[in-house]
Amino acid sequence: MAEFRFQINGEQAVVDATPDTPLLWVVREQLGLTGSKFGCGMGLCGACTMHMDGQAIRSCSMPVQLVDGKTVTTIEGLSGGDELHPLQQAWIDQNVPQCGYCQSGQIMSAASLLARDPNPSDDAIRSAMSGNICRCGTYSRIHKAIKQAASAQVSGVWEPPQSASDALAAEQREVQA
Amino acid sequence: MSRVNRRSFLKFSALAGGGISLGFALGGCSDSPASLPDSAEGAVQPNAFLQLTPKGQLILQLHKAEMGQGVIESMTTLAGEELNWDPNTIEVQFAEFHPEFRDPEMMLMTTGGSSSLRTSMPIVREAAASLAHVLKAAAGRHWSVDASRIVLQDGEVIYGTERLPVAALVPTAINEPLPETVSLKPAAQFRFIGKRSVRHDALKKSTGTADFGIDSGPSDAAVAVLVRCPYFGGKLKSFDAGDLKQQADIIDVLEVNGGVAVVANGYWPARKAANSLSVEWSKGPLAGTSADTIRQQQRALLDDKDGLERLEKGEEPEAGGVTVVREYFAPILAHATMEPQNAVAVVSGDSAEIWCPNQGPDGVQGAVARALGIDPSNVTVNSCFLGGGFGRRLVPDYAVEAALIAKAVDRPVRLIWSREDDTRHDFYRPPATIRFTAQLNNGRIESFRSKLVAPGIYASMTPWIAGAALPPWVPGAVPETLGSLVAYVDPPAGEGINDSDYEFGYQEARFVRQKLPLPLGFWRSVGHSHNGFFMESVMDELAHEAKADPLQFRIDHLPEDSPRRRLLDMIQAAGEWGNAPAGQFQGIAVHESFHTKVAQVATVSVENGQIKVHRVFCAVDCGLAVNPDVVQAQIEGGIVFGLTAALKGEITLEDGRVQQSNFHDYPMMRMNEIPEVEVQVLASSEPPTGVGEPGLPPIAPAVANAVFAATGQRLRELPLRLANS
Repeated sequence: MAEFRFQINGEQAVVDATPDTPLLWVVREQLGLTGSKFGCGMGLCGACTMHMDGQAIRSCSMPVQLVDGKTVTTIEGLSGGDELHPLQQAWIDQNVPQCGYCQSGQIMSAASLLARDPNPSDDAIRSAMSGNICRCGTYSRIHKAIKQAASAQVSGVWEPPQSASDALAAEQREVQA
Repeated sequence: MSRVNRRSFLKFSALAGGGISLGFALGGCSDSPASLPDSAEGAVQPNAFLQLTPKGQLILQLHKAEMGQGVIESMTTLAGEELNWDPNTIEVQFAEFHPEFRDPEMMLMTTGGSSSLRTSMPIVREAAASLAHVLKAAAGRHWSVDASRIVLQDGEVIYGTERLPVAALVPTAINEPLPETVSLKPAAQFRFIGKRSVRHDALKKSTGTADFGIDSGPSDAAVAVLVRCPYFGGKLKSFDAGDLKQQADIIDVLEVNGGVAVVANGYWPARKAANSLSVEWSKGPLAGTSADTIRQQQRALLDDKDGLERLEKGEEPEAGGVTVVREYFAPILAHATMEPQNAVAVVSGDSAEIWCPNQGPDGVQGAVARALGIDPSNVTVNSCFLGGGFGRRLVPDYAVEAALIAKAVDRPVRLIWSREDDTRHDFYRPPATIRFTAQLNNGRIESFRSKLVAPGIYASMTPWIAGAALPPWVPGAVPETLGSLVAYVDPPAGEGINDSDYEFGYQEARFVRQKLPLPLGFWRSVGHSHNGFFMESVMDELAHEAKADPLQFRIDHLPEDSPRRRLLDMIQAAGEWGNAPAGQFQGIAVHESFHTKVAQVATVSVENGQIKVHRVFCAVDCGLAVNPDVVQAQIEGGIVFGLTAALKGEITLEDGRVQQSNFHDYPMMRMNEIPEVEVQVLASSEPPTGVGEPGLPPIAPAVANAVFAATGQRLRELPLRLANS
């Protein structure tokens, strides 16, 4: 057992776990954030998708040891406040979810896509989202919702919240480029 | 007061357009308010379904499992319609077991068979109309006018220019006598039925705040995993826990229910410890059995056994024309719900409380009670959102496991199955082989014989159903229950064949039961899941043999007034048949399951030995579409689910154990593989029929038929695999 510290949804987390404990279980069991789901334990289904330093990761296969000092965002922290993220609003407008179990992971993968490609093509959407399984078959609505959110963002309706560490990371990337 | 016989619901056709109902939910006399579920303090509660609180909040008990198929939408729409009340403002609670929630056909509080909306249509509407009645009666009393002068709308009662919020009437409405009969709103006045609505649960499911089984129950419960015998019917011989029990995060390692339970303070330590156990098992009756063995056994039974005649109709024709013999096969399949099985159990003395995803709380009660040796009425079952059901959650094996582990370690336990557990310990869709022998003469099928070989589902399911069917408070219901189940499910092996409305000169259907001690269960669309493929493939082969257009051939073999024929007409009228783009080819299938008729045209291309499905056009007859958007979603969902079965998945055994484990070897359709899907629903005012399963059976044959058109290869097995691919 060891202690690990990381930012999660804008707050500092301090956890005790064995270094190989997947981030998913630390988040669900120790931090009580159950929005991210367990589907396969092998990074094959995407139900556990979270963001680590702005990148989508499969938290069921991410040992907490590698999260030390990093910034994590889960579905609970996606909107950064009271307003829904455009993707979440689009998910509701399009009646995307059926059983809903995969949808946290779908939204987190989609958010990661839109963060790096704000106006993705149909092929880019399919490719980026092919890691997330939906057994209920909501794929076509997920696709529509991503397009709706993309056009909402492009039209300037919503700004992503930028935390201090995000800004720092962005600066560092610029410096290294 | 005795309840009107629920079988008379069949007369509901008179009710779709309004009119007087037959009294299903109007049971005030036999159930005092104290016996109704989850009563809010001071609420008006005319029946188990609905209550109106003193603050004017309308609460609906959801008596069906929400597994994504939209029962929340169905029931709130029905209730909202009769109360003239925005369905989205109705608070929904997952109901605990109550006798009023028993399904009238299945006799249990079960969700399945695409039946929830169909059977609940009169029941929930009446329950709401009954509440509307007492509110109007109370308003009438308040204004000293006849209740018929009162309008109930959007949470207010209105008399002329006077209005009152319904909350004001709650104290007096409680004392209003319940009606003997109620009028239901005529279709012409529907505000909510038939309209698109925003899903109640969309916000929760888009923000990670919907609680599934795996999220429910006491958060400080210990976490358990169970190591089960990988050989079906095998036994635990020995296990060595080493020094696992001494580890700080391990609570116990012990034998439970024929397996080895590892109980820890979190999933990861429990799973790691379980993976490090050395366990010896005996192999059980399926030792040496492989996928090939099962297929060979089925082929041998096809040749050696006559089996049972399940259907014979028409006149055997004279010899003549051409005889066509074809055999098809469909493999074992797993459900693969996205949420693996799980349950939380708190057991103390002679009572237990369970939290789990389930398709029947009384099934969970009965099974847990039997396992613990306690009274079912002392088992509380808390339901939740299901991360997929598909028939898997009809079997409460995981709840029993959690209860037994909790009892053994004397503390609350959350049991979590891994994906590997889930894939290897399912109640599978049975494998099936069929032989058709048809006589074709002058373009007509004069004789159509089928012999189906499959293991029966009931041997596997009956013990679990019996647990729910034997609650002490309804002793007389046991044979009725089991009988109803048989009648309801309509022996699944032959469904879609024995009940087909194709007009053959002569039809005979036989069934040979294979004895296969494999846990089997209801998998989305059940017997139709393989029989749809079998029937619509052989019809296609016969069409080609007759050198007829496949769509026209089917029309020619359907009665004039067949709803399936109307759907084929719809497809032609929409120009969806015979218009494939260059390089793409089409296949057609039309099938009825669970009272709903579905026709599909799949447009497919074959490139480098790979089947690519470009488009599926689907025509649906499901009666009145209460929630049209839910119909669209379910049919498309069924198509995608069916495409996984058509193109990808099979469960195979080797030496009596399942070879597959996770999504790398039991793959699912992904977003980059799905076709464009268009669904057209036939406008209808007939009573609604279900859409959870009916989208599935036609897709495999539609695709297989298109593959034949593309390549000349006739694929008679699922999943579809081209030669030399």
